[in-house]
Amino acid sequence: MTERFEYPDDREARNAARVRALEALLIEKGVITDATVDKIMDVFTTEMGPFNGAKLVARAWTDPAFKDLLVNDTMAAVAQFGFPKSGGAEGEHMRAVANTPEVHNLIICTLCSCYPWPVLGLPPYWYKDPSFRARAAREPRKVLKEFGLDIDPSKEIRTWDSSAQIRWFVVPERPKGAEGLSEAELAALLTPEAMMGVALAKSPQAA
Amino acid sequence: MKLQHALGGLEGLDPIVPELRVFVDPWETRIFGIHTAMMALSPQLKLPATPSAFRTVWTWADLRKGAESMNPFDYFKYRYYEKWLGGISGYFVANGYITQKELDDRTAVYLANPAAPLPKAGSPEIDARVRQYLWDGDSPMGPRAVEPKFSTGESVMIADPPTVEHTRLPGFLRNKKGVIDVVYHDAYAYLCSTGPDGVGPVMPCYCVKFDPEDLWPGNAEPGFTFYADLYEAYISPAPLAAAA
Repeated sequence: MTERFEYPDDREARNAARVRALEALLIEKGVITDATVDKIMDVFTTEMGPFNGAKLVARAWTDPAFKDLLVNDTMAAVAQFGFPKSGGAEGEHMRAVANTPEVHNLIICTLCSCYPWPVLGLPPYWYKDPSFRARAAREPRKVLKEFGLDIDPSKEIRTWDSSAQIRWFVVPERPKGAEGLSEAELAALLTPEAMMGVALAKSPQAA
Repeated sequence: MKLQHALGGLEGLDPIVPELRVFVDPWETRIFGIHTAMMALSPQLKLPATPSAFRTVWTWADLRKGAESMNPFDYFKYRYYEKWLGGISGYFVANGYITQKELDDRTAVYLANPAAPLPKAGSPEIDARVRQYLWDGDSPMGPRAVEPKFSTGESVMIADPPTVEHTRLPGFLRNKKGVIDVVYHDAYAYLCSTGPDGVGPVMPCYCVKFDPEDLWPGNAEPGFTFYADLYEAYISPAPLAAAA
């Protein structure tokens, strides 16, 4: 009936060949080098990733003054850590919102996929999914349930749409049973999903 | 306006099956890297000059214009990085860096022999600049030349400017009433002028709070609040009755 919805059988092989052809031509034409893409991916493996956000949140869980700073002057809090002090690409201006017993926060980007690279790395597919972006705007509770997260009806959900230049993330509540853990142990309880609001921090028993 | 501008609230979509991976196929990392290198080497940035042959502007706005200009059926059909691959390949052909024939011929080579190596070449200054871009970023913040028109707690009406090829105003907020939640202390530019849509120059920005019941009357979940960051160009004073 229509070819619009047909994919070639070798869809991924074609995509892979086309992007490799493009990269090869760009190297030959002197646009990028043979190391450019690998070096960029290395940055997101070792320097900009959710391990940074986890350190910020773990500090906030152990230091109430730092938590206040993280929520009220996010960039000043970020500057206390070793990763890009001025934020870095896609984190030049960030705002953190904290979950409380009364409020659960959810970050979305209905227009595309704005995401705080320096503290969370690159966005997972669920965040970029048009269905998630469309539905989380109007029925966040139902969407969170599909992620396995049941938010009590008495709790207010705040959905934040990243439509201008600020990149957002969530400071989840500290899980029960996490008393006495080190910051490194606390950081291990955090996931990108928890720091965007589609999950809670892991409980120490489950971690 | 295009469907891509107004995704928020769209009905009839499938349940979410959370895909936690950032890349679902290894080739996707390569197009992400190429896009990021293009942003870093784009000539409007105040970064050290390099021997790179890249001489045209490429920002998020260019990538977004491509996605926003797609047929909406294709927008839903293609995976995130497939859209990037199409838009970025087209850009390099349209701007004369490569020809479509070169791309097709080389694609055939790699399709026949996926393990064929990449060429070896390039100046280290190019990679140093890319790293500096990632580390320094490209702040859109600028000095606030004018006082913000609106203040915290003020009722406002979201504008409905014509969209030419790109907007940062989600379509489902147009002509809806909201309340200023935060007047951001600084002012922000956008990456390019969006023409009659209204953003580009440095201007005040706000976090605006919406009652979902106003956005989707009788059809929004109870118990939540919706917030969006919006440029001042997208905000109008509330009609008198609404402001009362």
